[in-house]
Amino acid sequence: MSAPFDAWALAPGAVDAPPTRAEGGLRWPLLDHSAARALVASLRAARAGGLLSHDAAARARLLGRAGARFLDPRDPLRREAEARVPDSAGLSAPMARAVIEGMARDWTAPRLLDLLAAELPAGALDRFVPGTRGTRVRAFAPELALHVGAGTVPGVTATSMLRSLLVGSATLVKPGRGDAVLPVLLARAIADEAPDLARAVAVVYWGGGADAAVEEVALAAADQVVVYGGDATVRAVRERLPVTTPVIAYHHRISAAVVGRGALEKAGVEKVADALARAVALFDQRGCVSPHVVLVEEGGEMSPAELARALAGALARLDETLPPGPVDSAQASAVHQLRRTAELRAAAGEALELHVGTGGAWTVLLDPSAEVEASCLGRTVRVHPVADERATIARLAGWRQHLQTVGIAGMGDRLEALAAALGEVGARRVCPLESIPFPPPWWHHDGQGPLAVLVRWMDVEE
Amino acid sequence: MTDAAESEARKPRAGTGAAEHPRFDELAGELATVFARPLDERTFETWALRAFRWQFDHDAAFRGYCAGRGATPATVARWQDVPPVPTAAFKRLRFLAVEQGRGPEAVFRTSGTTGGTERRGEHAVASLALYRAALLPAFRAHLLPDGARPPVLALVPSPEEAPRSSLSRMIGVVIEELGGEGSAWLARADGAIDARPLLEALRAAAASDLPVLVAATAFGLVHALDALVVEGARIRLPEGSRLMETGGFKGRARVVARSELYAAVRDRLGIPAARIVNEYGMTELLSQFYEPVLADPRVADLPLEERFHVAPHWVRSRVLDPVSLAPVADGDPGLLCHYDLANLGSVSAVLTEDVGIAVPGGFRLIGRTPGAEPRGCSLATEELLLAATAQ
Repeated sequence: MSAPFDAWALAPGAVDAPPTRAEGGLRWPLLDHSAARALVASLRAARAGGLLSHDAAARARLLGRAGARFLDPRDPLRREAEARVPDSAGLSAPMARAVIEGMARDWTAPRLLDLLAAELPAGALDRFVPGTRGTRVRAFAPELALHVGAGTVPGVTATSMLRSLLVGSATLVKPGRGDAVLPVLLARAIADEAPDLARAVAVVYWGGGADAAVEEVALAAADQVVVYGGDATVRAVRERLPVTTPVIAYHHRISAAVVGRGALEKAGVEKVADALARAVALFDQRGCVSPHVVLVEEGGEMSPAELARALAGALARLDETLPPGPVDSAQASAVHQLRRTAELRAAAGEALELHVGTGGAWTVLLDPSAEVEASCLGRTVRVHPVADERATIARLAGWRQHLQTVGIAGMGDRLEALAAALGEVGARRVCPLESIPFPPPWWHHDGQGPLAVLVRWMDVEE
Repeated sequence: MTDAAESEARKPRAGTGAAEHPRFDELAGELATVFARPLDERTFETWALRAFRWQFDHDAAFRGYCAGRGATPATVARWQDVPPVPTAAFKRLRFLAVEQGRGPEAVFRTSGTTGGTERRGEHAVASLALYRAALLPAFRAHLLPDGARPPVLALVPSPEEAPRSSLSRMIGVVIEELGGEGSAWLARADGAIDARPLLEALRAAAASDLPVLVAATAFGLVHALDALVVEGARIRLPEGSRLMETGGFKGRARVVARSELYAAVRDRLGIPAARIVNEYGMTELLSQFYEPVLADPRVADLPLEERFHVAPHWVRSRVLDPVSLAPVADGDPGLLCHYDLANLGSVSAVLTEDVGIAVPGGFRLIGRTPGAEPRGCSLATEELLLAATAQ
């Protein structure tokens, strides 16, 4: 067992050296009320004095310089990330590498500049620009943003932090337990590349209970809160905030894949199965974009059962290249329940086919049942045969509140209509199977532009 | 599947000679007499294997499942080798090991979770007589070891109001067979507890010298105690009164620590922790587990966190590694897997999602695996209460 990871990045002098606590592989500072208030004050001061002295494009270039270091395999911070993320996030080393690469792709200057251009009118963060019909408009970032990470997928919190700084908010980041490494290391990279920007960001992990002081101060002081997490976490944060504090919540999400007849030709099925397997395996299925079910059209050259077999083969191949992380007992228990129930259902005469990897590595279940169920994760995916688009929509409509990404292949000219119908039942994103794991940075995350959602507009009428 | 297993699985089953295969009622009747007296290890083993053969022969899904795993009456020599059925399977299949053409005498349903849209587990009860034969001696041993016959104040809906609840059914049987005069049902069909009848019943009990038995889910108890707080009432139930408390708070917004709950029971009802017996039961098992607080005075003095559950002598519980499902080393936590002879008419080997640690004489329940969906009697009660409030 390696030494605990120091789960904080604070600018020098932001707070006096606080006592720390270590638990479960992390060490974190215990900030009392006065230390937390001092931290908040120093962040606000650094925003006016440092962060806003650069325009948005300059911030993008500086932040991008820090972010790009995680794409360089020889960079010491990248190497520390590779060493720390597997244990911290419960991922295998090759998976951790794939996740770091995938996430850091969006942390470079060109990507951040693209994101700015896609989201906001040029210059709108720095000055008033022409708006509609003679008005002039300008986008203002909240003075202090609090970002509360979920910890299920490493890199999400770091990305969130980067965007907050890009629009010009002093940013306090509370990462989730499984995602503390990357925001801390990215904050250190920013301190190297742009010390005056770095003074406007603080990353601090804290636990529950005894650490209430910092949480209390942070929730009271924040001008905006961005929270990732389960429905219960989001509700808890909302309830504790002043009613005037805007909240941007990314709550529990569930994703799916649809394979139409067009993609069920013998020649191409391997490729389809590989893309599906990768989407299921990445983040060990813990991502909001990770598919829980695959709906496969009947009547193609290959049957849904054959695709399920191909998917099982593709998942088996990933055992070597993207091996799963350690299995915890809850996960293992859930997989036993699922597999044995499937065996019993098959023995009872249901047309069910179960494919399993060695140990708890992965499970593919061909399930003719008309209802879809959320996966117990751990690369567990149900393949449901469907007659047509209507059947697809009928199955996914029950997930209306939580449906996010639907990866689609082989729908041909029926794609447009299917996408529209999926939008009606709550889907936020339709994409090719290959793109499922890593959406582009400018995607409407859960339905809204990632930068646009952070700012408020001011109009000047002539 | 091996060839031998396959041919075994395909053999015709039901009705192959009465001498070789007794009828369910005969078998159940004989088993009921076994429950009434202590059982040595060899007799348990014999009965466990008889139950396996019976279930293998009479439930097609279970037969196919076992045969697929290479387990048939020809290959299984120890009850530990019977493939356990996961509790999740009770949501999908109805296990019923009885002669063809015969239905269950009752169907118990698991309580649902907050969403209410998920599948619920069902347990078909082939013989209510066998169910009673398992229920009564264990209840007597743990709640009435002094031979008392107290009035039962039930804070759960009556079986007429909640015909598919195994808990309501259980308390119904207890009142019928073991309850004294003045027993009362104090929860409405929707699970809500009205303050007035509750107070009347409690005050009447307190005014008499007769000890009572209160039966409640932990959550129902919290609501009853809330009602007493609102009324400003402190009841001193007569000396010798006792409480059977069941179900936890898993997955609920409002979690009350056990020590807090027990302190409140003492404060508001006058029943000390040493007379509160926790019952652990599940719809999938027709036998129940109890903390032997009244049955064994040494246990009454243990701190709450050291209390443990014991099984009746016709049940064996194993603690299995969650990954390999092999038995864990002594003292390590793992998944509880039970072999319950009272499940003769369905399946006896049941793999739960509950985590426990083996201790001498029983097991200490640690909780449900965090990944498992919340479930339990308590939950349904709260849902019902919320629904009642909303109306």
